[in-house]
Amino acid sequence: MTESSVISSPSAVRVERLSFRYPGGPDVLTDISFTIAPGEIIGLVGPSGAGKSTLLQHLNGLLPSKLPDTSTLPLEADTRQGVFIDNIPVARKTIAEIRRRVGFLFQDPDDQLFCPTVFEDVAFGPLNLGLSDDEVRQRVRGSLASVGLAGYEPRSTLRLSLGERKRVCLAGVFACQPSVLTLDEPFSSLDPRARRTLIAILRQFSGSQIIATHDLDIVVDLCHRVLLLDGGQLRAAGQTRDILGNEALMERHGLEVPWRLRQK
Amino acid sequence: MCHRWPPFAKLFTAIAMILAATCVPITHGPLVGIVACVIFFAHTLARIPLAYVCRRLLFFWPTLFLMAISLPLSQAGQKGWLLFVTIFVRGTLSFSTALWLVNVMPFDQLLATLRHLRVPDVLLAIVSLMYRFLFVLWDELDRMRTARSARMFRKPTLWETWRSAAHLVGRLLIRALDRADRIHGAMLARGWDGRTRWIEQRREDRP
Repeated sequence: MTESSVISSPSAVRVERLSFRYPGGPDVLTDISFTIAPGEIIGLVGPSGAGKSTLLQHLNGLLPSKLPDTSTLPLEADTRQGVFIDNIPVARKTIAEIRRRVGFLFQDPDDQLFCPTVFEDVAFGPLNLGLSDDEVRQRVRGSLASVGLAGYEPRSTLRLSLGERKRVCLAGVFACQPSVLTLDEPFSSLDPRARRTLIAILRQFSGSQIIATHDLDIVVDLCHRVLLLDGGQLRAAGQTRDILGNEALMERHGLEVPWRLRQK
Repeated sequence: MCHRWPPFAKLFTAIAMILAATCVPITHGPLVGIVACVIFFAHTLARIPLAYVCRRLLFFWPTLFLMAISLPLSQAGQKGWLLFVTIFVRGTLSFSTALWLVNVMPFDQLLATLRHLRVPDVLLAIVSLMYRFLFVLWDELDRMRTARSARMFRKPTLWETWRSAAHLVGRLLIRALDRADRIHGAMLARGWDGRTRWIEQRREDRP
């Protein structure tokens, strides 16, 4: 494949033969390859410790801690290795651009809300993008409205419910206007109403999404395709109903066929 | 009514009261009394209940006592005790003033005011993060304590209490380090490059 043919095939996320291990530890990810089309919602499922979070952290260059230098990457497409966002390799030189394009929602909102007020927290990303004050204000207002929290600007980040904190986190991510959203266990410990609100917000997002979760009923509801990860390897990838409805496959990897697909 | 003062006025009033409390010589009884009255008056103006201030002081006094008690022990005679009283009175008055300030001034307003006064960004970032995560850590400690007492079937001896407190603190430290790591990741994920950028909240941002 030549350079131009790579760019012509539209992919929001492309992972090519990605392997990773922490120094001195066993392999956490082994030879993982997949692509995500623009606008596609992907469910990333697998038992705990399968490497889901580690994989997500590769998508915006939080891992590996020592990023590759672009100049050392081989240019031949078929020998390429690594993570590409909108065909930009995740590398030391591109990291600012990658992080602008990939929004990351962490599992614990307390890790992500580090400013004293909601306004300051949502403004954190846009300010780092170097936007003007007026633009920052506009983005804060717009993204808080898009998660249904208009008027929350002066609130303290300490005095919010878990669902509200998750939504403020999401507003902070939206404020950077990413084209790809990576979500680590976004639905854990939410009550049903907060969960439904979050799902509705995610549906409205126009970019690609990759959602790591144990909540397989939501995956059936929300995701176009599923990647099944176990032991650091990509065991299956395909249409949501084909993967999650395959009892033998699910059983083999310590998962369950969701109720929605059982009662047929 | 102090709540409605401009932020700078609150901060400078507090600084002035602390300066007065720490500069007035303890031997000038009436002067000390006047300063104490001014601070008391400020609390009344802000409608801060006296009982609240006293409760907080009860927490503070043991620490202050430990700090001050070394002086009469090391310095013989009246001079040591005079120093002890000085530290005790000044500490109490300054602490009351600080209590007044945090009650009349929301934390983000305090940070914004300090920022206008050109306090270095790194210091402000430390204070801001500390304030934010002190509560998270406290909750975590609370959960760990509850979990511990749920498995404690009899009244622990003093030795056991101290031992398990030490364990808790150790665990909390490790958790705090892990959390710091994740917060750093979250900051990087939103484009942080080590420089603190800052935007002022305007009135229209406060509906």
